[in-house]
Amino acid sequence: MRRIETDILVVGGGPAGLSAATSAAGAGARVDLVDAGAAPGGQYWMQDPVAGATTTQSAEGSAAIAAARAAGVAIHSGAEVWAAFPGGEIMAHDAEGPVVFQARSIVVASGAQDRVYPFPGWTLPGVMTPGAGQRLAKLGKTAPGKRIALAGNGPFLYAVAATLASIDATPKLLLESGKARAPMLGLLARHPARIAEAVSLLAAARAVPNWRRGHVVTEALGEDRVEAIRIAPVDDAGTVDTARSERIDGIDALLVGWGFRPMIELTALLRCRHAYDRALGGWYCVASPATGLTSVEGVYAAGEVTGIAGSRPARLSGALAGLSAAAGLGFASPGNEERRKRLVRALASARSFGHELGRLAPPPAGIADLANDDTIVCRCENVTRGEIAAALAEGTRAVAGAKMWTRAGMGRCQGRVCGSAVAEIAASLGGTEIAAAGFNPPRIPLRPVPLPAVLEATRAAGTGETH
Amino acid sequence: MVTRADAIVVGAGVVGAAVAAALAADGRRVTVLEQGVPGGAVSGASLACIGTHMMDEEELPLLAWCCDAWSALSEKAPRFEYSRSGQLRFLKHDGERRSAETWIGIERAAGLSPELLEPEAVRRIEPELTGPIVAATWSPNSATVNPFLAVRTLIDAARADGATIVAGAAATRLVTSGGAITGVETALGRFEAPLVVIAGGPWTQTLAATAGVDLPIVPRKAQCLATVATRPVIRTVVGACKAEGGVDAGYTQIQQAASGQVLFNTVLEGGVTAAGGRDAVPEVDRAFVHDSVDTLLFLFPRLAALDLLRSWVRYEAVTPDDRFLTGAAGPDGLFIAAGDGGTGFVRSLGMARIIADRIAGRQPPFRDDIYRPDRFAERAAA
Repeated sequence: MRRIETDILVVGGGPAGLSAATSAAGAGARVDLVDAGAAPGGQYWMQDPVAGATTTQSAEGSAAIAAARAAGVAIHSGAEVWAAFPGGEIMAHDAEGPVVFQARSIVVASGAQDRVYPFPGWTLPGVMTPGAGQRLAKLGKTAPGKRIALAGNGPFLYAVAATLASIDATPKLLLESGKARAPMLGLLARHPARIAEAVSLLAAARAVPNWRRGHVVTEALGEDRVEAIRIAPVDDAGTVDTARSERIDGIDALLVGWGFRPMIELTALLRCRHAYDRALGGWYCVASPATGLTSVEGVYAAGEVTGIAGSRPARLSGALAGLSAAAGLGFASPGNEERRKRLVRALASARSFGHELGRLAPPPAGIADLANDDTIVCRCENVTRGEIAAALAEGTRAVAGAKMWTRAGMGRCQGRVCGSAVAEIAASLGGTEIAAAGFNPPRIPLRPVPLPAVLEATRAAGTGETH
Repeated sequence: MVTRADAIVVGAGVVGAAVAAALAADGRRVTVLEQGVPGGAVSGASLACIGTHMMDEEELPLLAWCCDAWSALSEKAPRFEYSRSGQLRFLKHDGERRSAETWIGIERAAGLSPELLEPEAVRRIEPELTGPIVAATWSPNSATVNPFLAVRTLIDAARADGATIVAGAAATRLVTSGGAITGVETALGRFEAPLVVIAGGPWTQTLAATAGVDLPIVPRKAQCLATVATRPVIRTVVGACKAEGGVDAGYTQIQQAASGQVLFNTVLEGGVTAAGGRDAVPEVDRAFVHDSVDTLLFLFPRLAALDLLRSWVRYEAVTPDDRFLTGAAGPDGLFIAAGDGGTGFVRSLGMARIIADRIAGRQPPFRDDIYRPDRFAERAAA
């Protein structure tokens, strides 16, 4: 079995992870980076294995990958981390089997995934997240449909519209829950460096023939796949006015999502402290703004796992965490402290922009209530909202209670998809804060892993089989 | 806020839920206080085997009564995946035959019908068990239940008879007056009742101590693994033949849940007893993961194509003789029902019977002197 001893293990190969690895290796540490993707880059710097770097974003990514390699970072692609055991051992698994890392420090840059909330019809073929639609467009130049509706919140929708336009698949309809423009202008006035990017994103949104603000999709309709959608106005308090809903026909793809949720599985398994902020994607790992250190010694976190803020803070927090992790192990060249201070200042500004942007357009407060009693909430185990409501009415509570009595979150994805919705449903029906509903604590294995690989990886070092 | 009831049950695991259902059925107004979520501690982590095989000779009448009670509950409320699958306990070495035959003799004498099967006969019952075992015992009366839904069913029964469940109410202190129990102090305020039953698993002794009652319960780590769901492949409950050695002997249980997930665990070295560890749920031990997967694939080599999906860890409550502490203890009105020893699921209905009968002044349908909470103090004094 492959066993790799290293100074610093970086988990995740997106902007944060690559930046962390490069800065730690530049400081003189031995660095290994493990990433689940076929190629590093993550979602933001996604590399098209066939076409290569065809956009500014992917070219930026391939430069970052080259920089990491040049700094001496060993990149392990296609490897999923599935366990952490006491003593700094991190277990991963790739096509060739298990690989065990023994690291002195860890930087977790596990990124984010689309945040979804269930609504009637959301399981119909043709309904997907904006992130999934963008991946299709980025990787195979495949359009998710011919008549695309794009819906949800936040400027990520504009970026998806831009990607779709680049493959000649401009959406027919863009639905955004927020409608206030003035705060956005105020935010840009405070961060003038972001105006050019905002202008280009706005141009992508304007290219959509039908752009509706202050609306949400309340239902997807169709026989074998989505053919139409129902939409309704939503007010600033997050209340959806279903009495004023209207039907829009001629849709063959619906891309709907509510920003991102931090992928906290590994940091939670490592027992780092987490906090809840719905505008930052829900539960996130708390990391020091001065170093990236989490509440656990030797464990650093960077990028979206520390709260959704975008790619710029991801790069800066990655570089900061990598530098701090290296310094913590005694790798420090003379200019490092100055560089760290500059990173801290730049990160504070970039994060405040990202966080304010998140607060401008949070998912509407009542969004989880769009699901009706027979809407499936947990797709792995086919659990409906009605079943969850019944369990809560019959004496249990919170995410943990809903899981035990209904199996919501007990299937293959272990609640990564339905977790936000189950928490909001439990809070709404139980009359508590969302944070009080908790989350499903991730357990070993973090991802499904073949039994023979588990057997091999957990064998005590230096011993043969016991049977 | 003060809430009054006839009886308070502390703990909504399977034992507390069963006690609440039994007391409510007797017409008592019951309040159940649960610090977390119902069935969220070791009950929900249980592989919930309902059976009599290789358990405890002196407890056989109780265990047989419990098996019938579970079967009857399933007839009445068929919603907790009760499945009388039977149980196989494999032998890896010929040296284990003596132990197997001893257990079979004891159980047959009690009117049960276990038998020893050679590998070919084992495979007629469990076709995918193709690993090189030397034999297996077969106990046809064993069943499994879905532990979450079983707790929910018992809570339903209690609620139907007027019980109230309060989740998130961590009990902090027993309240007594003039040598009698009067209530329980909790994070949500005081609850008053002249009867209090502590069914708090490994938390029981801490609460009992607030009324000066010393209980010899220690927490022990209980761990389990599950694969992703697959086609029906395991029909029975598969375990290891119980060796001589008592509480800390090696242990295996493998079964397939109604969800299609294969649930399994093997503890070769004996449980890790974690003093004070019950509140911090840790991860599974690396050696435990290895031994469990190793045993699963030894017995069912074709399952090597499956993925491991999840693991969980809870704390079971262990007593010095591996039997429950069930009955009256300390101040008037205080009762205990705790000490599952990892096999509390099957016995929970019997423990509830004892509590309800003793409170009502009835004689339980089986002996209950072996569960008296003060039995160790008496032995020490003698």
